Parts: sequence; structure tokens; C-alpha cells
Amino acid sequence: MKIFSLFRKKCFCGRHALRQIVLLPVVFFLLSPSPVFGAGQQEKITISLKDVSIVKFFKEIEKNTTYKFFYKGSQVESFPTISIEAKDQTITSILNSVFAKSDLTYTFNNKQIVILQKTGSQSIQVPLKVKGKVSFVEDGSPVPYANIQVKGLTGLGATTDLNGMYTIDNVSKDAVLIVTYIGYITQEIPVNGRSVIDLTMKENLASLQEVFVTGYYTQKKESFTGSALTVSGDELRRIGTQNLLQNIQVIDPSFKQVVNNTFGSDPNKLPEFQVRGTTALDAGTSSSLDPLDRRTLTQSNPNLPTFILDGYQVSLEKVYDLDINRVESITLLKDAAATAIYGSRASNGVLVIKTKDPKEGKLMFSYNFETTVSSPDLSAYNLLNASEKMEYEILAGLYLPTVNISEDVQIENYTKKREYLAAGVNTDWLAKPVRNAFGQKHSVYIEGGSKTIRYGVDLRYQTSQGVMKGSGRDRLGLGMNLSYNLNEKLLFKNYLSIEDVRSKNSPYGSFATYVKANPYYPIVDEAGNYIREMEIWKLQQSSGAVLTSTVLNPLYNATLNSFDKSGYSNITDQFSFEWNILPGLRFRSLVSFSSNKSTSDVFTSPFDNAYYSYLPADYIKRGSYLYSTGVSNNLDGQAVLTYSKGIRKHFVNFALGSNITTNNSDNRGIRAIGFTNDKFSEFGFANAYQVGDSPVSQVVKSRLFGAFANINYSYSNKYLFDFSFRLDGSSKFGSQNRYAPFWSTGIGWNIHKEKFLENTAVSQLKLRATTGFLGEVSFNPFMANTIYEYYTNNWYSTGVGAGYIGYGNELLKWQRTQSSDIGVEVGFLEDRIWFSGRYYYKRTKDLLADINVAPSLGFSSYKSNLGELENKGIELNVKVDLMRNSKDWRVNLTGNLAHNQNKILNISEALKAYNQYLVSNDPNNFTRPISQYVEGQSLSQIYAVKSLGIDTQTGMEVYVKRDGTLTYTYDAADMVPCAERAPKVEGYIGATVSYKRFILTANLHYRYGGYMFNQTLVDRVENADPRYNVDRRALEERWKKPGDATFYKSITSTAVTRATSRFIQKDNEFGLTSVNLTYELSKASARKILMESVRFGINMGDIWRWSSVNIERGIDYPFSKMVTFSITTQF
Amino acid sequence: MKKYIFTFCVGLFILTSCNKWLDVKPESEVELETLLLTETGFQEALNGIYANCNTSGTYGELICGFPDFLAGIYSQNFYGGLSNNEYKPFLTYNYTDKAVLNKCYTIWSSLYKSIALCNIIIEKIDAKKNIFTKNNYSIIKGEAFALRGYLYFDLLRLFAPSYASKPDAKAIPYITEFSLKGAPQSSVSEVITKILADLNAAKALLKDKDPILSPVYVVGYPYTKTDLANTEKTNESTENDIFSNTRRDRMNYYAVCAELARVYLYKQDKVNALANALEIIDAKKFPWATKERITTSDPLYKDKIFYTELIFSLYAPGLESNMVAKFENGEQGMFTNLVYFNDAFETGSGGPGGTDLRYANMYNPISGGTMMSVMKYHSDAESNMYDLRLPAIRISEMYYIAAECNIATNPTQAWTYFNAVRFQRGIPAALSGDQNLFMSELIKEYRKEFFAEGQLFYLFKRLNKPISAINGSSTPASDNVFVLPIPDAEVQYGNIVTK
Repeated sequence: MKIFSLFRKKCFCGRHALRQIVLLPVVFFLLSPSPVFGAGQQEKITISLKDVSIVKFFKEIEKNTTYKFFYKGSQVESFPTISIEAKDQTITSILNSVFAKSDLTYTFNNKQIVILQKTGSQSIQVPLKVKGKVSFVEDGSPVPYANIQVKGLTGLGATTDLNGMYTIDNVSKDAVLIVTYIGYITQEIPVNGRSVIDLTMKENLASLQEVFVTGYYTQKKESFTGSALTVSGDELRRIGTQNLLQNIQVIDPSFKQVVNNTFGSDPNKLPEFQVRGTTALDAGTSSSLDPLDRRTLTQSNPNLPTFILDGYQVSLEKVYDLDINRVESITLLKDAAATAIYGSRASNGVLVIKTKDPKEGKLMFSYNFETTVSSPDLSAYNLLNASEKMEYEILAGLYLPTVNISEDVQIENYTKKREYLAAGVNTDWLAKPVRNAFGQKHSVYIEGGSKTIRYGVDLRYQTSQGVMKGSGRDRLGLGMNLSYNLNEKLLFKNYLSIEDVRSKNSPYGSFATYVKANPYYPIVDEAGNYIREMEIWKLQQSSGAVLTSTVLNPLYNATLNSFDKSGYSNITDQFSFEWNILPGLRFRSLVSFSSNKSTSDVFTSPFDNAYYSYLPADYIKRGSYLYSTGVSNNLDGQAVLTYSKGIRKHFVNFALGSNITTNNSDNRGIRAIGFTNDKFSEFGFANAYQVGDSPVSQVVKSRLFGAFANINYSYSNKYLFDFSFRLDGSSKFGSQNRYAPFWSTGIGWNIHKEKFLENTAVSQLKLRATTGFLGEVSFNPFMANTIYEYYTNNWYSTGVGAGYIGYGNELLKWQRTQSSDIGVEVGFLEDRIWFSGRYYYKRTKDLLADINVAPSLGFSSYKSNLGELENKGIELNVKVDLMRNSKDWRVNLTGNLAHNQNKILNISEALKAYNQYLVSNDPNNFTRPISQYVEGQSLSQIYAVKSLGIDTQTGMEVYVKRDGTLTYTYDAADMVPCAERAPKVEGYIGATVSYKRFILTANLHYRYGGYMFNQTLVDRVENADPRYNVDRRALEERWKKPGDATFYKSITSTAVTRATSRFIQKDNEFGLTSVNLTYELSKASARKILMESVRFGINMGDIWRWSSVNIERGIDYPFSKMVTFSITTQF
Repeated sequence: MKKYIFTFCVGLFILTSCNKWLDVKPESEVELETLLLTETGFQEALNGIYANCNTSGTYGELICGFPDFLAGIYSQNFYGGLSNNEYKPFLTYNYTDKAVLNKCYTIWSSLYKSIALCNIIIEKIDAKKNIFTKNNYSIIKGEAFALRGYLYFDLLRLFAPSYASKPDAKAIPYITEFSLKGAPQSSVSEVITKILADLNAAKALLKDKDPILSPVYVVGYPYTKTDLANTEKTNESTENDIFSNTRRDRMNYYAVCAELARVYLYKQDKVNALANALEIIDAKKFPWATKERITTSDPLYKDKIFYTELIFSLYAPGLESNMVAKFENGEQGMFTNLVYFNDAFETGSGGPGGTDLRYANMYNPISGGTMMSVMKYHSDAESNMYDLRLPAIRISEMYYIAAECNIATNPTQAWTYFNAVRFQRGIPAALSGDQNLFMSELIKEYRKEFFAEGQLFYLFKRLNKPISAINGSSTPASDNVFVLPIPDAEVQYGNIVTK
């Protein structure tokens, strides 16, 4: 765009401008229509001049013809005066005679005559050695792998290296170079005797990006056989600017964020991800919720993909807190061929993030401001109001006298509530802990520099509030980028960044408490003070004993000085060194060091409701302070040598590299109790440590070393072959299996390059297939080595003792995934319609599983590689580019679809026993489906007892036993696989419409074909405790009298409703994930306000949603909708 | 270019050869191989076995938990709050109950874990023999053998039929290495042979090496700051490191002899049992608890456990709250109806128990005086002269063994040993009579002496006699009573033959 406007503005406005263009031959050739030689030169003219300057001669010809001359003043300064008499001669012959003895010559370019300097060698026709640099017009960065051919001479040409440099020998000086680069406009450039030709490439917007970064090196996409998806930062930001990770899912649904119904839109909860399904079993290991459990200090999710930021591995949290404005591009590597160079870290896919490098040029400031308003989405909650709640309580028989609770007491109980109702109390508890939350972001980017030295400084301040009052996350960042480029031979880069993130959790506690609160309770008394005890319940237990329990006002806690905050600061320095040893041969080395310090402070006020029942003697134990801190240091070093060479139709790209990483982390935590009041919330005001609560610490060290090689070969860009190999060594593995090899191979065929598809509607047709072995390291080191732990809280009289934690299986191997992938990419009509499809099959072998052994060995189980898991699926992407030729309008439609099917192939005896254990010891009393591990079934299968619904006569549920007989009695042993949770298809449909300077993007999410166990119906309708507020359905839709055909059981039933197929519902969903509108001021308007560019944007997230399941969402923290306004300026 | 590739390859090679670099040692834990590089490491590994035994689920249970319910010393008839009590099925010998199975699983797996910890030491110590100072090689290896024997004997007595009834019955697996290799069940007599081999090996290793054998090692009451009454010289810290002191908290030489005496007697080898018991009695290392210490009301000096008489005890100060919960938890606690309790101690008119020091000083009446609860594990925190200990072997048991071994051959001698203990307990009347009388009196004495110490059940089992409960009821001797269930996991994954 920039160049076009430049051209339009300057090209037709006089000689002065024209001269400039001659000075910039690159731009000139790029933008002018292809030069046509020999056309129209036969036009005959008559001319008579005497002793005139050559300029005058040019003007004369321009006057008489349609031609225009292009020349530099300096070229013609010393030209002698000329005299010419010509009658009906062609321009060519006139010009030839004029220039015959001069040192100038000319060339035709349509209606333009370009004056050129004759070179001494011209007449001898000595071949030239032409070299130069090809760069992208957008940012001046080099174009690697651009193909440069000499027109008409097949076989003579070159491919640019990674710095965009090329060299071609034996070029005749009147030759024409054809520069091609997929996704960019092909250009024909006459050599005109030049030996240095620098070029810029302009994007052919219809096409896809050509190269992608693997994290270690860049790979040419056209010849690559793997499955990699690259998305530019701009595309990402068009989806939304608040959550980078969520945006990725929109682009590729196989990168799936696991919906967390419990934590909703909590800004401090890190999302969980799966790439192409689950590849690990986590059963059998109970995860402790105690913050002071050593194992909870360091936990990892075995399904998480590997995140690579500018070449080094980072944590999910780092990516979560990354400023999306800094992202240049992201690449999702999914199949074996794409990820094999990550070896043991590859089996869950790799997400490579590249941040922006500073651009060369004068000092440029960019400023981005965003303000976000988010509002809680409480539409999923449908609760009773005060009078309905009373009605429900009466129907549920809450006020019926019991053996030990007299009628008088119940009447008193009831009257009290009637009084509340009479007083008009109808408290909207849901509204109390939530708010409309505001957030702001300021990012500044300063960049500039010369070809040799470039610099960039980024600053960010972002504060985002959560929709629960008091929760939020503040991020502060500073980065400095400096690069030094020595003669295009050596390149040094350093990036230093400092980040500080502070997060606060809401003092209001869990949202679920407010959902449960009865609407007839007033919050404050007449004096305006918070009522602490809202009601005292008398419950008769089955034993007959009457128990009293006090209902406390949850809002009371929020008025106290309790806090729950945490934060971390991170310093990262990255230094890289690149050396272009020879054309095509490049060495790159990168060292990064990152240090992360985190702290967490959780203070509970001594007046908190949790201590309500403490007796005065125990007042000294009220209040608690949990302090934990962690330091982690990561060092990552890598060296990669790449070599690329094109010999005639053969093109080879070879990469050899190695990397080492070390991770050390040291986490500690202590808890103190006993605070007299909450004004003195400092740790030091605590009275004591809790009895039996020793300090915890966990030091984890891990090291990884890997060496890899990758070869990519293509013949004539048609037949493609890839092979990667990696050898990894990790400290996490058994001493008998320290090293493991990983490999992948792939083949591809660019059918569109074949003769029979030339000049057809098919602009792209590529077939590819890959397979390989990948690994995953995600287990604790003590599983492979017998580790002794010290019994620090059980000292013996003769000294401290130590005992082993478990049997360390030295034969433990790397969990390996065999991943195969076939894909097709088809483009029609110059890729106006583009489609890609992939089928993958992943088989995870050597899955870590517990093997049960006789406890007489001294341990009851050990880890071994036994399990096998299978994931297969399909991914489809469609892009349609409409109105490409319209001047003002552009319409792009995108759609994608993912389908994954998971199956357990083999599990250990221990897991089978674990199923049995769960079936007989369910902690939830079978009120939710139990995850079971059954060979041949998927991990997401829902197990429940089959149900025929509610008997219309009795209001009781009818169950189907395994043998098919019917019963009213629930038996957990009758649980059978009932439905599959995983959707059949899931994906996004998006549209981008641009009109002039407006761009509108919208993305819709859909999910179809899965099932869900509607927990709300169990917990909040049928098992709802009538003493708490309940879902409306509990009142309106339950069975009340014989003959009622209802979905829900009898309203008076106090029997526990268990997990049955009755609550399994179709889980189809459709929702508007994001809408984004931007408007960019025209250059001229921007200039008026002294800006280079100004862009306004408005983005809305999670605006609307339809689901086939009516379920309460965001149990502990509600979901939110948000609107973001942004301004981006450059000056 | 070749040069560069060459350099690069060399670089790769250097990195690849850094196998050692990948060998990362954890810091908050320690690898087995690293731990057992030093003498201290072996000491910690040995301490670890005792620390594994002194928990509420292991010897906290075996010494003051279900075995005494099986022996019927607690008052089941009056056990008002027992409805949800995990000990209820033990009273009825309902070994299919989940609570029983859970406790058996815990005991089985933790005792075998302790055995595995012994096995590791025994396996590794010889290769490192030269790193040890003083007599520590012999002491550590000896104790590992001793503990292994001790632990196996308890497993045998819990999970296998009585030797007296079925010496050839399948018993328990005798595992002697830390590996994935299991072992089939050995028979009762095979297990006993192996236990004796371990204990005799331990005895040989500890002989002449154990500091407790030194004349300067004097067992007595520990000093306290204001302890003027303690005139006897006590010295249980003869060495300058804590590892070599307080020998009675570990399997010392005499503890090995005592355990041998127990095992030989279980095997009905009275000659060897007697020889080992006498070795201890004759050494006169363990003085009787003094009357002043037993009767004083000052918690600082009060001896409720007969401290000086303990040949081997488990140091367990961490069980303080567990003991309070067990014994002093009102109606939910473990207690005995006063009537039966008085019967057991023969305090009725003319009964010899009226002056029994144990009766008056180790129990507290509760529930308005209708029940007696055990106070011997009661700890007054800081104010006690000794930390809470679980009695494992007492000197009095050696006297009983010596008496039992003599009763057939030399009844006078037998009654002398027997009456010696009674006399120390404040019962002046000397008993004498035939073997039948002796056996019934022995059971009575076991009940009084080892009340809430878990030994009585083993006596019935050893004798293969009906269990006579404190309330007079009797349960016939049978495997259904004497053999606790081997955990399902062992049956499923091990080489177990079930009944």
C-alpha cells in the first residue's frame, strides 16, 4: 500500500520526481508495468534541431510523440549540443544516431525512454556477476529462499539465502531476471549492466506466507512436508488483543483450550491446553490441594504443548502474560515432521512465538492504548427470588415438624422468613461480588537505527481487573533490543526484558457461595451494619440428634482485611550471534538466561467466617498467613548451522544443531497462625506456626541436552522430502535410559507445479505425508531413581532418619508418540479459494503408568512404561478471498474444523484396579460421573448408570441394571459407558471485511456432536439442599404428584441423586467469540495531527453464546464478556 | 567449510559426552546411591527404619491398638460410643470388615517397607565396609539384620497360623532384597528358621561391639535439672555422638537376645529360649523400676512405663496427641469396665492385687469411676523426665520366658523367676504350683504386665489356646481368630496361597 501511494503521488508529477525514480531503479521496476521492448518504436517522426542541448532535444521528441524521457540531470550535463535533421525516421534510429558516439544509451519501457549510462564493457558483452539483496517491501527484512532465474535460460539462477542475498554468475548485461517468491508478486527485472541489484518483494495478498520459523531456523514452506501453521501478529490482533492464547485456538481449533467451568474468566487462572487430544494419563495420582504440600509447589500438566519464545522454551505463564503487540508471528508445529527437532518435548506440539525486531530507519515511536470493559456473564444462572424460594422450601417440606424439632420451632422458623418477605427483602446475591471491570493497557515501542545498528525499546503497562470485585492482574514490562550487523556477515542481537506481574484474588471468595445464598436474607441491619449470622439452622440427623448450624454472611468476609495476592518478576536476557560464513552457509547461536522470582501472600483475617466456631480459648489460633516464594533460573543455549544450496532443480536445506537447557527452581512455603486483628496483617504479627505444619521446600533441577539434524530436499519444487533426527538426553530419565532418539520423515508433492496443472484454475495442489516418533518428558525424577526423603518431622532419638519415597525404575523410558499425518492443500483461482485438510494418527506408547506389585516388596506400585493411547483426527481449513479486484472492498472468509477421537489401547493393572477403587470409594458419593480407564474406550467417555427417567407414579428414578433388569436401587457397579464427551466437530468460522480503511473481523465458534453431563441438574436441581437457593428448575419442573411426567424426581425426595444417563445431554454450542472493527486514518489526515499513522479499534469478546445444555457456568468465578477500545499510533 | 563442520561436530561430541552433566541430584531428597556413600548416610538410613516404625499406623497400632482388642482386654460390653469405631470389627474377629482390611494393609505394607529399608542396608553395606569408623559397620549391619528378624517375627505372628498349630502352613514371603523380584510364601517353620538366622547373625555382629555391653553403659532414669532423687548413676550416653547412644531405642545386643528368646519360645525351643533370656537376666543391665518413681505424683519423675526395664522401645514423641485421642477420648476412647479390670488385677477381697503398683499408678478411672483408662502413654509434654516411648521388649518378659522354660524341668526355679516380677510389682504373695496353674497365672500376669502393649494376643496364639477375654468370655483358638487377612494387593500381585 505504501509503495502504491508513493508511486501514484510521484510518478506523474514532473521531471523532478521522475528523476528520483530513476535513482531508485528497484522501486521503479517493481511498480511500473512490465517493460515492453520494441513495441511502438516504429513510430516515425520528423525533427529538425540545431545546436540544442540534449534536454531540449528530449522535450522536442516528447512534444511530437507520446514518449517521455527518464534521466538523471547529471547524466546529461556534459552531453555536447546536438544538431539533427530527420525526416520520417523511427525514434530508434534518431536516438541511435544521437547517442552513437556518446557514453549514453537508452532503453524503452512502454512509453518511457530511459536514459542509461553505457558501460565500458557493454560492447564486449562480458558476462556479469550479479548480486544483491531481496527484501520485503513492508519492513525491509530479508527474503530468504526467493527464486531468481535468468529469463529464457533455465538452470541459470539462484536462491536467496536467509539474509535475502543472492549471487548469479555469467549473466549477460541485457538479461532479464525473474524473481519469484510464493505469496509475493513475481517481478521481471532487466539487468541493464548493473552488477548489484537490490529488490523489494511485495506481498500478493491472496497468497499465504512462505516461510515459517521453527524456533531454531526458518524453513521454506513450499518445500516443507510437515504441518505448520503460521499466523502473523496482525492477524492475531484482529481476533482480539486481550488473550493471545485464546486467539490461537480461533486460528487452529486443534490447539484447544480446555474450558474451565470452575474458574470462568478468572484473570489469575492459567488456561489448560491440549493439542490434538490427550497424550497422558494422570490417573492414580491424587493431586493435593494443600498449598503446603511439597508436590503442589511444582506441578506440570502433561498435555501442555511446548512454548518457544524467540528460540528458547518458556512457561505457559510467560506466554499468558506476553504483550500481544510485541508478537510478530506465531507458528504452531503439530505433526512429527514439524516438531521432531524438539524431540523429547515435541509430542504435544510446539508453539513458536517470534517477537518483533526493530526496523531500520529514523526514530519511530509507536503507541498503543487500550481500555477494556468487561461485565460478568450471569445468564447461566436462573435462581429463585425470595418469594419463590419460600414456596420451594414449603414444598420441599422444610418446615414440617420432625421427631426432635417441634412444630413451634418450625413455625417460629417460618415466621421469621415471612417477616423478611413482608419487609420486601429480595437480595440479589449474585450482583454483590461482581462488577463491571475496567482495564487499561499502554504500550510504547521505540525503534530505529541504521543498517549496522538497530535498536528497539518496548514498554508496557497493563492493568486488568476481573469481574469479581478485588481481583485483577497488573503487568509491567520493559524490553530493550539492540542489534549490530557487521557487513551482512556477522549479526549480534541482544534482547533484555524485565517483567513484573502482580495478581490479586477476590476477597469475596468463591462465587458459588453467593449463588447459594437465600434471597430473603437481608445483608445489613437497620443500622447499616453487615449481618454476620443470617440464620441458625436446626437439622435433624438420621440418628435423631438435632444439629444446629449457623449460616454466615459471605459478604462479611469481604469487609475484612484478608488478602490473597501473588506476583512474579522476571528478567530475561537473550543474546544471539549469527555468522554468514559462506553464501548459503550460516551459523547461529543463541544463549538466553531467565530468572523468575515469585511470591505469594495469603492472609486470612482472624475475624473471617472460617473461625466463627472457634472457642475463646482458641482465639489465639485465629487468622492465618501463608507465605510462599519461588526462584527459578533457566539457561538455554543453542547452536545451529544451516546450509542451503540450489543446484539446477535440486534444492537442499540442511540444518545441524544442538541445544542445552538447565532449569533450577527452588520453592518454599510457610504458614503462620494467630493474629489478633486484621489491621496488623504483617507476617511478623503471627503468634505461632501451626502445630504439625512444618515449612516446605522443593528444589527441582533438570537438564536437557539435544542434538539434531534436519534435511529438506526438493526437486524442481515439485517433489519434496524431509528428514529430521534428534537425540535427547535428559536428567529426568533413568540412568539406564539417559538418551533417546527421535526422528521424523515426510514426503510431499507440489502437483500444481506439474505441467498438466499449469494455466488451470488450480493454483495450488500439494499432497504430503509425514511420520515420526516424538517424546514427552513430564515426570518427577524420583520415578526413575530410588530417592530417599528425610523424615524431618519425625526425628528419631538417635538422629534424623531417611527412607525411600518409592521404587525408582531405572529402566523407565521416554514416553513416545508415533505421529503420522497426511494432508492436502488446494488452491483455486490464484488461491482465491484455498482449502487444506489433514488426517493424523497419534499413538502414544510407553505411557507412564503405575504397575501394582505385591506390597511385600516394600512398595505397592512403581512407574513403568505400559500404557498406550491413540488419538486420531481430522483438521480442515478453508479460506475464501472474495472481491480481490475491487478497489475498496475486500472480503475474506475462513472456516476451520477439528475432530479428535481418543482411545485407550492398553492400561496397567493398577489403572484397572483404580477403576475398581473409584467405583467403590467415590469421594463425591457417585453424584458425578467417575472417570474410568477402560481399554477400547476414550478418556473422555462418560460413565453412568443407565436410567429410564422418572416413574410418573412414584416420582422415583428407574435404573437399568447391567443385565437389563429395571430397579429403583442405585448400584455403582451398573455404571456403563454412556456417551462421549469429545465433540464430533469443533471449530471457528470467521469473516474479515474491509472497506477502504475499515476492517471488520468476526469469529464464530461452533461445537457439535459431543455430550455433557449436566452437573447443574444434579447439584443444583435434584440434590439441591432446599435450605440454599437453587436453580429455578428445582421448583418448577420437579415431580409433585402421581401422573406428573417430569424430567426431575419428586420435590420432596431427600434421596441423593446419582450420576445416571438421565443427565447426559447433547453438548452443542454456537457463539460469537469475537468481533473486531478497526479504522485507520489516511496518511494525510494522520499527518495533519503530526502522526505517521493512527488506527482505532473496537473489539468485543464472548458476546453471545447459544448452548444446547443449560448449565451453570463459572462456578467459583463467573465468565465475562468484554469490550476493548484501542488506539494505535505511530509518529 | 569442512573446517567449520568439523569444529561443529567436535563441539557436539563434547556435549554428547557429558553424561555426567545430565546426572542431576535432587536437593530436597537424596538418591539412594548418594546417601549410601557415607557413614552418616548409613546412619540416617538406619534411623529411617526406626522412624518408619514409630508411626501411628505401624507400631503405634501394633503396640497400643488392635492386638489388644483381639486379646479382649477392653470392655466391649460397655463400649457405648463404639458404633462408628474402627476397632469394632476387631472385637468380633470380623476379618472381612473394611476397617480390618485397611489396618492390615497398612501394617503389612509398612512393615514390609521397613524390611525393604533393612534389605537395602544389608545389600549395600559390605561394599562400603571401609568407610565406617568405630564399630559402626557391625552395629549398623547387625541392627539391620536384627530389625529384619524383629519385623518378620511380628508379620509372622499376625498373618500366619500359629507354629503350635500348623508349623508347615504357608506363611509369609521372606524377602531379602530390594528389587522387583517377589518371593513365594515360606512356611511358618521356614520363616522362623530365617528369622533365627537373621537374629543370630545380628547377635554375632553386635557381640563385643555394642556400646550397651560396655560396663560404663549404665541403664537408669535420665537426669533432670532438679533431679536430686536420682542417686543411682545413669549413663546411656557413653559415646560422643547421638547415633551410638540411647541404645535401648534401637535393636541393641540385649534386644536381639530378647527377640531370640521370644522366637525360640514360639518355636518351642526352650533350651535356646532360656539361654537367651538368661543372658539378659544375668547381665543385670536393666534395673527394676523403683517404687518411688512409680508412685510419685510429680509428673517430672513419674515412671508410668517402667522406663529402666525396657530392653527395646520405639522413641515416639510424635504420637502424643494420637495416644490422647486413643485412650483419653471419653467414651470413644479405649477403656475397660472397672469390674473386669479389678478382676484382672485381683483386687477383690483376699486378692493379691490390692498392692499392685501397676493398678494404682498406670490407670485413671473415667465415666464416674465405672471405667478405667490407660495412662501409661500419657505425656505431660515438657514436664516428663523421658519422652514418649512404645515398649517393645521388657525385662519382665525375659523372666516370664525363663520361668516358662523351666516349669517342666525345674518348677522351683520357674516360680522364682515368676514371683520375682510379681514382687517388683508390689505383690508380696509368692505363688507355686503345677504347670497348669503356672500357665493360667502366666496369662494373668501377661495381661497385667503388658496391658495395652499388644503382647497378650501373641501369647494366646503361641500357646494356641482359646483367647480368654477380660470379661471372662472365651474365643476358641483357630486360624479364623489368630490369622489376620493378608491384604488383597498381596494376594493379587504376589505369590500367595490363600486359605
